[in-house]
Amino acid sequence: MNEIQNSPGCERASDLIAFLYGEADEGEALDFQLHLQQCNSCRDEVASFGDVRESITAWRDEALAGFVSTPMSAQPKAKSALAALRQFFDLSPLWLKGATALAAITFCVLAGWALFKSNNEVISKNPDAVYTAQDVNRIVKEALAQQPRVQPPAEAPSPENVAVNSRKPKPKSSRTASQSARSQRPLSKEEREQLAAELRLLSSDDSTLHLLGDRINQ
Amino acid sequence: MDTLATDEIIVERALTGDAEAFGELVHRWERRIFALTYGMLGREEDARDATQETFLAAFRNLRGFRGEAKVSSWLHRIAVNQCISRQRRSKVRSESALEEEHETSFTTPFAHSPAHVAEGRQETAAVRRAINSLPVELRQVVVMKEFEELTFREIADALDLPLSTVKSRLYTALKQLQMRLQKFESRN
Repeated sequence: MNEIQNSPGCERASDLIAFLYGEADEGEALDFQLHLQQCNSCRDEVASFGDVRESITAWRDEALAGFVSTPMSAQPKAKSALAALRQFFDLSPLWLKGATALAAITFCVLAGWALFKSNNEVISKNPDAVYTAQDVNRIVKEALAQQPRVQPPAEAPSPENVAVNSRKPKPKSSRTASQSARSQRPLSKEEREQLAAELRLLSSDDSTLHLLGDRINQ
Repeated sequence: MDTLATDEIIVERALTGDAEAFGELVHRWERRIFALTYGMLGREEDARDATQETFLAAFRNLRGFRGEAKVSSWLHRIAVNQCISRQRRSKVRSESALEEEHETSFTTPFAHSPAHVAEGRQETAAVRRAINSLPVELRQVVVMKEFEELTFREIADALDLPLSTVKSRLYTALKQLQMRLQKFESRN
């Protein structure tokens, strides 16, 4: 008995804690109570630990007496996305805030740079790109002239056209644009004469020439 | 046990989009989580912030809760982690500055009579100081036991520790607190 009483520390610390907090079952509690009667160390510790617990409890009761439900208990799901984002930033550590800001700045700089670069490329192709309406017309004409010509759809042949075409040298596609345009307007006197000569319809009489011209021009 | 089932149901409801469910969970546990964070941090303002952070973290990670542990253990674990990371962040503040803040912020709202104020202030300041001086692993166990009155098994689950470790840590914590409080008493 004396050996146990004089021991500086007891091996039954685990049992002591379970007993102290009332978590020992009935048998264990009874057994430890018997042990306490023999062990001064455990008895002293149970008493002093009890005092410590009382002090902590006093502190806890004071602390929790001032507890009021926090606004957090309001529905967190009802928060708007903006509020949640704001709260996220409020709660974020400084490094995260910094990283987010840096990422945003980098994004803006890159986007601005890309925009600037694309604009610059357009400008560098035509550094003096100030066009007048005449310039535009000229460029369009040049572009059209460079394009391969598309044959207009074949018109229903009139007797005159058949006659003319039969005398024209082949291929017909070699006709110039001016020739094509001429066929769309009334022929001049010289043209009519030339055409009549080609068709061997020319007579010495000018009046018949006029009549012929009228006929051709029909 | 009924509480366990109810907590799980609440979490399930929250997961299925019930806007009220998570609020219920917060209402149910906020006081105990506040007790834990208060015990760990020793300052009301910090404890409130840590409590809010705990529930925010829980809300964000709700889908990650697999139901392998109790909801309460899960919440406690989050709260302890919040406290530890908060303490790491505030480590730059000197202990003396922290003490001064405690002297003013902690005791003032709970004052009763002038005599009680003086006595209470000294006692609570001593207890708080003693608990704050404990290593984190000892402090969290003693706070979970004394502030939240969790069982050894619940603490072991929350901290993912063997039951024997919880008991031995609690024993060591009480032993150290006893020594520090004795020093305080002998000085006064």
